[in-house]
Amino acid sequence: MKLKVSKEKILNSLQKVQSVVSSRTTIPILSNVLIKAEKDRIHFTATDLDVSVIAGCEAQVTKPGATTLPARRIFSIFKELPGPDIELEVDDKNQASIRSGSSFFKLVGASEDEFPPLPKLDAAKTYSLDQGTFREMVRCTCYAASHDESRPMLNGVLLSFKDAKLAVVATDGRRMALFEQEVEFPKGSEGDLILPFKTVEELNATLQSAGQLKILTTPKQIAFEFDDIIIMSKLVEGTFPNFRQVIPAQAEESIALERETLLTALRRVSLVSGDNSTSAKLAFSKNKLEITVTAPNVGEASETLPIKFTGRAITIAFNPDFLMDPLRTLTSDEISLELTDDMNPGVVKCNVPFLYVIMPMRVS
Amino acid sequence: MPAPKPIHVLSDHVINKIAAGEVVERPASVVKELVENALDAGATQIEVEAVGGGRQLVAITDNGCGMGRDDALLAIERHATSKIQDVDDIEHVATLGFRGEALAAISAVSHFTLTTRPAADLAGTELVIAGGKLADVKDAGCPPGTRIEARRLFFNVPARRKFLRADATELAHIRQMFVVYALAHPEVGWRLVVDGREAMRLAAGATLGDRLRDIVGADLARQLRPLDLTRHDITVRGYAGQPAAARQDRTEQYVFINGRPASAAAIYHAINEGYHTLLPPGRHAPIFLFIEVDPEQVDVNVHPTKKEVRFRQPGAIRDAVIEAIRRALQPTPTTGITSSLLTMPPPTTAIAASAEQQIKLLIPDLPPPRTFQFPGLPMLPPSAPPPTAVPGAAPPAAAPTPAQELKNAAHSPWLWCRVLGQVGGLYVVLETEDGLVLMDPHAAHERVLFEQLLKQYTSHAVKSQGLLAPETVELLPATAEAVRENLPLLREMGFGLADFGGDAFIVDALPACLGGASSRAVLAAIAESLAKGGARGGSARAVEEAVAQAACKAAVKARDVLRLDEIEQLVVALARAEMPYTCPHGRPTIIFTSYGELHRKFGRA
Repeated sequence: MKLKVSKEKILNSLQKVQSVVSSRTTIPILSNVLIKAEKDRIHFTATDLDVSVIAGCEAQVTKPGATTLPARRIFSIFKELPGPDIELEVDDKNQASIRSGSSFFKLVGASEDEFPPLPKLDAAKTYSLDQGTFREMVRCTCYAASHDESRPMLNGVLLSFKDAKLAVVATDGRRMALFEQEVEFPKGSEGDLILPFKTVEELNATLQSAGQLKILTTPKQIAFEFDDIIIMSKLVEGTFPNFRQVIPAQAEESIALERETLLTALRRVSLVSGDNSTSAKLAFSKNKLEITVTAPNVGEASETLPIKFTGRAITIAFNPDFLMDPLRTLTSDEISLELTDDMNPGVVKCNVPFLYVIMPMRVS
Repeated sequence: MPAPKPIHVLSDHVINKIAAGEVVERPASVVKELVENALDAGATQIEVEAVGGGRQLVAITDNGCGMGRDDALLAIERHATSKIQDVDDIEHVATLGFRGEALAAISAVSHFTLTTRPAADLAGTELVIAGGKLADVKDAGCPPGTRIEARRLFFNVPARRKFLRADATELAHIRQMFVVYALAHPEVGWRLVVDGREAMRLAAGATLGDRLRDIVGADLARQLRPLDLTRHDITVRGYAGQPAAARQDRTEQYVFINGRPASAAAIYHAINEGYHTLLPPGRHAPIFLFIEVDPEQVDVNVHPTKKEVRFRQPGAIRDAVIEAIRRALQPTPTTGITSSLLTMPPPTTAIAASAEQQIKLLIPDLPPPRTFQFPGLPMLPPSAPPPTAVPGAAPPAAAPTPAQELKNAAHSPWLWCRVLGQVGGLYVVLETEDGLVLMDPHAAHERVLFEQLLKQYTSHAVKSQGLLAPETVELLPATAEAVRENLPLLREMGFGLADFGGDAFIVDALPACLGGASSRAVLAAIAESLAKGGARGGSARAVEEAVAQAACKAAVKARDVLRLDEIEQLVVALARAEMPYTCPHGRPTIIFTSYGELHRKFGRA
């Protein structure tokens, strides 16, 4: 294998695969990146066996071939090379020679055959979406996913393709975030997919705000193709709970609130939260919202916000973090909070097709 | 059939030898009996001398009241004593001895010399006795007080002599006996001379804290917390060790009842209860327990050497000991010193008081417990009663007084610490001012959650987080029964729980501090422990056990890789915990290696 490539391009591609290269793995080959050169492109592949990322860039390939090299080491070497171009040559023994300006490096690699083969996505269903939209849907929901390993199907984000709509849902049994958009896909491609949390993080880090996104799935695997990147991942097995049944049919009061104001007030009062069981008490009365946090052994804090509200007075307690999560990720100026009483769930809505159901806390 | 042997009365000589077998078992028993006599004689300076493991010589010299010649001659008779008059006196005996057997018994089995002089007399008396026979009585010049020498112990009882162990072992027993009495009487000066060389010298007029530091060393002394409790006529004082200092046996547990070293099953049981949830079974923390109780409440006349005592009301003593230990180890939660300024008494007194208390805080009896100040908000009394409070109910408890809070300045295991990372995907490594700490995050988290939930439970302020969709949890018949019996308890713990018939339950809320734990796992674990605990009984213990199980299930799993900020949060929460050293099941949360130990291991001493 022999090629010449611009330093900027190769660094950009390598950067995208770094995050799945594990620093402490029991399988040494996984700390290497697979480099494949063909025609006028090179591809870098890194995997931790759960998630794989493939990133490509243009290169002048004089001799095609493939090898694996230690991922972190070549990234730091390429970063320091004087540039602007890098020449890479790999011999039959997987020994790489790197030349750039006055620098010369010789690195020991490992054979391509040792690298785990990537899953094949034959007979896959395909969906086509806008990258920015999908990124926003995932970003606005993923925080609600559960981290409790005893319920693996909640340890991720649900993509539910149904009735010409895509619903992205995450829940931990206490709150649920749902983002629903109309998308086009073939009639026979309806189905539910649960993305593992790790893949969601990878997507959050690499998806761009514009461009095409292609999703390919088989019952156990999923691949996201966009720009010069492919992210492949296992799917979580199991059935996601019926998320539609926890959405309250209707609420008695719908209160319009300024998102930023509510968020900063909550952020301030939760500075006194003593531990993860702190609750924020929201008391709605005529044109006034009072938020109070009392933490034993720490102290208490309260905020009073002017609001537009003329309904029945309601007092309800929420986990302040649960309430802040959607406020942080949404971008609209105003949200609405729908409440019935202190025992029934609250619902956060806004001007985008987003919905957040949150169960109140009770104090015995 | 053998011919009946005639019955005859034993001679005094034989009786003394038999009695000696009960009282004098080994050289250390001689030390015990004679030291007790010295203390009863009001000595302020006692010297114990042993040669050849006490086999060749045991000598006790005191500066007590001494005896005149007539008294001295009488004292060596059996059942001769100055300490009691008649049988009623035994009921409220305040001296260590009273049976009047010791001198007779010791002199029966050794070459015995008694030299004594009351301060008022000009000349002292010397008695020489060999094997119980008075050999010589003469005047002798000597300082006021008494010196008793017992040479060649058991010279005339070969059977007993054979049972003596190696010199080193017998010496160890003597030293142990010496230490016990030196601890019991810190006001007395002590000197131990072994084979002509001074082995230990303890200054007179010491406090118990000083004496402990001299005897057990500063390292252990630092791990001790003072005990102080008076309840009715029972006073419990002394020091209780942190669970981290625990060991496999009870060798560092010293119990003194009215100044008398003693053991009683009820007390050991109470110590175990006091350390319940802090120590795993089979581990025993060091403790120096001084119980003062009306002499009439104790029967010391159970055992010839008074090793064991009995109580009239073992329950009351047990409760007092448990409470004293619990109080010492789990003091009321504290916050920063600033809180004393926020209770808003007149400003001048507040400042004066807090200044005085700060001084107290800095100069305690023992080296100060390592403090750990966190940037935390000071405690405020709730400005309004909680909305759920019934009108007319008792007002919220007054904020603890500053003195109370200061008394137990944070008992965190470190002053400052830095998280270095996680090893083996499990243990967290911390650097502290004194050394290296390894922390088990699961055990640590368990402890933190346990205290949170227990605190909420006991203050009836449990917060529970509702579930979006109620979950049905199916249990085994036995555990389901346990849950059904304990429904009120579980509801108070914050579970939204309803019987669904059969062995199933519906859960619609969980205690909020359990975070994202799954209701099925938590409920099943609690139910199992309740089912098992049913036999053990005790509802307070059932609550603790249930809370411990819940904490265990909700704590981070052993293999979870934690983010740095999660570790930091946990470290801070653990340092705030009342009992940061063990998880609720008594396993350690942290292992501390001091720089001193590291230096030693690297040969840098």
